[in-house]
Amino acid sequence: MNTIEQQLWDYIDGNLNETQQKAIEGKIETDVSVRRQYEELLSLNATFSAMELDEPSMSFTRNVMEDVALQPAPIALKTKVDNRIIFTIAAFFVLSILGILGYVLYNTTFTIPDLSKYFTLNLNIEKVLNPTALYVFIGVDLILGLVFVDYLLRKKLFDKDQSFTKGVKG
Amino acid sequence: MKQELTDLQLIQNVLSGETGQYALLVKRHQRFVFTLALRFAKNREDAEEIAQDCFVKAYKALGSFKQTAKFSTWLYTITYTTAMTFLRKKRLDTSSISDEETFLQLENHTSAFNANVYEQQNSNAFLNQAIGDLLPDDAAIITMFYKGEQSLEEIGEALNMEANTIKVKLHRARQRLKEKLQYLLKDEVKELL
Repeated sequence: MNTIEQQLWDYIDGNLNETQQKAIEGKIETDVSVRRQYEELLSLNATFSAMELDEPSMSFTRNVMEDVALQPAPIALKTKVDNRIIFTIAAFFVLSILGILGYVLYNTTFTIPDLSKYFTLNLNIEKVLNPTALYVFIGVDLILGLVFVDYLLRKKLFDKDQSFTKGVKG
Repeated sequence: MKQELTDLQLIQNVLSGETGQYALLVKRHQRFVFTLALRFAKNREDAEEIAQDCFVKAYKALGSFKQTAKFSTWLYTITYTTAMTFLRKKRLDTSSISDEETFLQLENHTSAFNANVYEQQNSNAFLNQAIGDLLPDDAAIITMFYKGEQSLEEIGEALNMEANTIKVKLHRARQRLKEKLQYLLKDEVKELL
């Protein structure tokens, strides 16, 4: 369905791209019947836009508010599940896992298997993979983890400040 | 001068406990919701019941409203579903009425309608009459497009239809309105002569 009337309505509604717009403008300029139809639709469009809305009874708002007063106050869904509870549970599990891991690592004596049986590379692995190196590796990981947590917390605080500032300005 | 709060600000206030502010939202949207309900119900009492029910439903579900969308579109979706449920229920309720009663009701309705026709003095009354003769969906689409500041996509969202379907229905509704207005205004000219 792409009659001239449909094209004219699309033109009036602003639903045409630049090329289509120019094409229909050309038709309006050159074709008298199209121009007459366009003017008729423009006038109809103005009539539709001037349509008046009906008014409910005077007591409408009061009636709604009386009904609303009987309902429990609405709460935003995101505040219904408090984020702090989720973070506390997550923190408990993360700390538990880290604790167990730390305990296991602390009570483990690292022994490096004799890899020379399998590899004939002339590389002294024992020198590189000793307990001290492993502790250093875990230590670095821990520091990186703490830096990441610090970054997340700072970002959250910054976002909170921003929304507060917006609220004050608004 | 105090700046008027937006819909979203009012919603946030209601959600943070200032429930009285919901009255401002109701006042702001009641005319449109009522008119939309009237497009489906065809009589003021039923339309008012639908509109009232719609605002109460919206209040109860306010917590689930995604505040990134337009409140009006969400509200019109509720109006549409409330009106549909109401009409379905009403159809079931009235199906038990005897034929004689139905006939009497229809007669009364017609005479009231005729009385209204004679009272109509301006073009807006003719327009409302013409819109009233459209299919409920078409009447709602015309109203939402011209008075609800809704795009075709938003109307589609509210009425659970594709934007393209809305475009076709809007075109059809305009054509029918044009024909009905031409017919009604022709009669008016005859009366004047």
